[in-house]
Amino acid sequence: MTADVQAGAPAIPAATPTAAVATAGRPRRAPWRILWWLIFLAGVAYFTLPLVGTLAFSLRAIPPLSAYTDILTDQQFFTSLGYSFVVGLLTIVISISLMVPTAFWVRLRMPRARPAVEYITLLPFVVPPIVLVFALISTYSHPPLPFTHTDIGSTALLVCGYVVLSFPYMYRAVDVGLRSMDIRALTEASQSLGANWFTILTQVILPNLRVALLSGAFLTLAIVIGEFTMANYLARPAFAPYLSLLGSNEPYQQSAVALVSFGLTWVAMGFITILGRGSRSKIAVTGAR
Amino acid sequence: MTGSVVQMNAQGAPTARPGRRRFGRTWLGLAPFAIFSTLFLLIPTAYLVVGSFQDPAGDLTLQNYADLSDPVITNAYATSLEISLVTAVAGGVYGFLMAYAVISAGLPRRLRSGLMTFSGVASNFAGIPLALAFIFTIGRTGLLTTFLDSVGIRPYESGFSLYTKVGLEIVYFYFQLPLMILIIAPAIDGLKQEWREASENMGATSRQYWRYVALPVLMPSLLGAMILLFGNAFGAQATAYQLTGGFINLVPLLIGNQLSGDVLHNVGLGYALAMGMVAILGITLIAYSVLQRRSERWLR
Amino acid sequence: MLSTQRSVTRLAGLLVGASMLFAACSGIGGGPSAGASAGTMDSLVAEAKKEGNLTTIALPHTWCNYGEMLTSFAAKYGIKINELNPDGSSAAEIDAIKANKSNPGPQAPDVVDVGLSFGPSAKTDAVITPYKVATWNDIPAAAKDADGYWYGDYYGVMSIETNTKVVTNVPKSYADLLKPEYKGKVALSGDPTKSNQAISAVWGAALANGGSIDNVQPGLDFFKKLNDMGNFVPVIAKQATVASGETPIVLTWTYTALADRDKLAGNPPVEVNVPSDAKFAGMYVQAVSAYAPHPFAARLWEEYLYSDEGQIIWLKGYCNPIRYDALVTAKKIPADLAAKLPDSTGAQLPTLDQITAASKAITTGWPTTVGVVVK
Repeated sequence: MTADVQAGAPAIPAATPTAAVATAGRPRRAPWRILWWLIFLAGVAYFTLPLVGTLAFSLRAIPPLSAYTDILTDQQFFTSLGYSFVVGLLTIVISISLMVPTAFWVRLRMPRARPAVEYITLLPFVVPPIVLVFALISTYSHPPLPFTHTDIGSTALLVCGYVVLSFPYMYRAVDVGLRSMDIRALTEASQSLGANWFTILTQVILPNLRVALLSGAFLTLAIVIGEFTMANYLARPAFAPYLSLLGSNEPYQQSAVALVSFGLTWVAMGFITILGRGSRSKIAVTGAR
Repeated sequence: MTGSVVQMNAQGAPTARPGRRRFGRTWLGLAPFAIFSTLFLLIPTAYLVVGSFQDPAGDLTLQNYADLSDPVITNAYATSLEISLVTAVAGGVYGFLMAYAVISAGLPRRLRSGLMTFSGVASNFAGIPLALAFIFTIGRTGLLTTFLDSVGIRPYESGFSLYTKVGLEIVYFYFQLPLMILIIAPAIDGLKQEWREASENMGATSRQYWRYVALPVLMPSLLGAMILLFGNAFGAQATAYQLTGGFINLVPLLIGNQLSGDVLHNVGLGYALAMGMVAILGITLIAYSVLQRRSERWLR
Repeated sequence: MLSTQRSVTRLAGLLVGASMLFAACSGIGGGPSAGASAGTMDSLVAEAKKEGNLTTIALPHTWCNYGEMLTSFAAKYGIKINELNPDGSSAAEIDAIKANKSNPGPQAPDVVDVGLSFGPSAKTDAVITPYKVATWNDIPAAAKDADGYWYGDYYGVMSIETNTKVVTNVPKSYADLLKPEYKGKVALSGDPTKSNQAISAVWGAALANGGSIDNVQPGLDFFKKLNDMGNFVPVIAKQATVASGETPIVLTWTYTALADRDKLAGNPPVEVNVPSDAKFAGMYVQAVSAYAPHPFAARLWEEYLYSDEGQIIWLKGYCNPIRYDALVTAKKIPADLAAKLPDSTGAQLPTLDQITAASKAITTGWPTTVGVVVK
């Protein structure tokens, strides 16, 4: 290529960049790379320091590791974390099932409804959680929909509340993911091949949203595990109420629990990543891999 | 087919036919979302609306809204807005840079999944544990503070304090940054390598690539992510309460005082304050939608 | 359909039972002590055991030794206790009753322990129901509602809690707190526009600086001075921040400070002092929810709290139980416990009207006098 250009034509200024690309082989030059490393490492330092601070404080207990051993011997730590994790998974599934079709439909067919839908998804930020939970209890503690009369019903109400809390994050994640693919072309192609809406959503759109869905799932799980007000007032055995009970009684243990739950949530998210990697058979046509 | 103009999209392919204007059928697609959000979000919001017009005795009144003009309250709105905007933009910019660093800037691939997972966890590390974590690190007796003291740098004597607006913003950054990283990652993935190569083939510098190709493509997603960050900071309460003890005037704290305090219990005022936030969010959304539409114009 | 029928019948049954109980205990003819008759007490216990559950709210285990109170009640009567929101505020407790009016589930609180000012407002809002315990007469008249809707349970005195590892020269009065050596060390345990404890701290400062129980402005001025000097730290003090040294000096109730001291057990060491220049007391009140899903268990709980056993459990938590004087007269207080209680003689206990006035003054005055209203 380079030889052709040099032999066939008089000096064409455009030859130089092409040559540079062809000979360099790497699109990014080394000096820039250092800058990106610096940015990354500065961020990592910012994230790590407060965790180190918490660790240092938790080790002030006497004896130093007692805060941690106390946790591991407390049965309730694991049951409450387990409960929150299960509720989190349910919330993720329902939220994805609700948000992906909605975001897809808005982008494809109803762009004018977008501001309204976006506003509704952002409302959970400004409705105080205590108002939300008391309103839900007031509405659903009697027929026709007496959720709170049973344990399962109360948990179901909690899950629905958490789906609402996940609205902003899940919608935004899915929306950003959908932007990076040409859903119009994909939809038409699928329709011309005879697919119905369900098939389009599950076999074409979803596989291409893997990264976005992972982000949404992570954010939702984090919310569920950290959420206190709703779980508390609905009298659910979740993790955050357990953590707060600890906090008022055991200062060193509270910090230890925060770190341990940090770590366990990380493991849980790794678990979700593996789950999400499952569908290798579907080929990502375009967009995020 | 006859009589209807076939629309073309940017790639020159025919768009999906909008079909006949069967309003019913199209709206049906939003039904699940509409039903769910009505049941579990809009009905509670109705409580908020109705309650904001009630006084402690339960009678209808506009007094709560009149009370919103109190200087303490307007100051709270201004401060909340300021902190939310600052952390949204700062978190947005730095989050984008970090996400780009691990996805497209040539850093090792393993760092990407590590950062994504960590961001997932850190995005909800908020409230009392986060406030305490920063107190233990850069508080007056924090780990970093005492370390800096030992080498002669005394931040607290030079005017720095964790217990100011700036300090609060530093703490908020901790959950804003990961949120941005997670949300913008798919958009960065969508930046095709071919575009970069094509622009370099045509002689564009890195800066021109960014200015004319990458940023315009990313702008709608960047804006969308930043409004999320804005909302996230706007409604945050527990962290601010623990860290500032109500010294810094924020609307969620004022709401908390009315709804969950030991002293004041003017629930109607609390609801009116929340309605103020609902209105501000609406205005922000309109501004954002305008910006969005402008940024998407060339993409059509 | 069936569940509606069943709940109507249940409601009717409850009303009949409850009204019988009211008639017995509300002192018609025989006076309040009539409720102490063995027959009624036994039937109360039996009915409560049948209900088998009690839902409480906003009772931290280290607050007045509620931890022991809850476990011993559960053990004594075999009733399972469901605890809601230990860190809840008085407002949240009342709102929880209101939200759960038609909810028989575990989300509805049966009993509440709220700040004094919330008693009358809860009565007006009709969310609490009157009940006079067997030992009703021992409760001072000023500390209870004449109709039996709410009744004082314990009180504490405002104190100065100090982490003596960080602060070797321990402050013993409000005036001491203004010393320059305490720069960046003094904190409150709440926000004065939100927390009863914090308001009490400001009020105490007023008493120490020329104010009175009716004039809280000197308290606000004191804190302005404290803040301008740089001694005040705006962080909400918790056990963790005291232990870490970030808030080594805290103005808080004696019982929470002493509970912290015991819990930290010398790591780090904590000293608690009642300010020598002002003794300010604050009282909380009990009430039974008008919508309690377990009305008999709720009443049994109240009986337990006001029994000698219950009152002494509170005493162990360093709270002054409301029947303290009666117990002393009856020589029921063990000497070692009496010695542990901080000296609260001469402490000023405000009336309801004074609380309303002072709360208003402090909550409106704080942001403008002390707080940051400008950038």
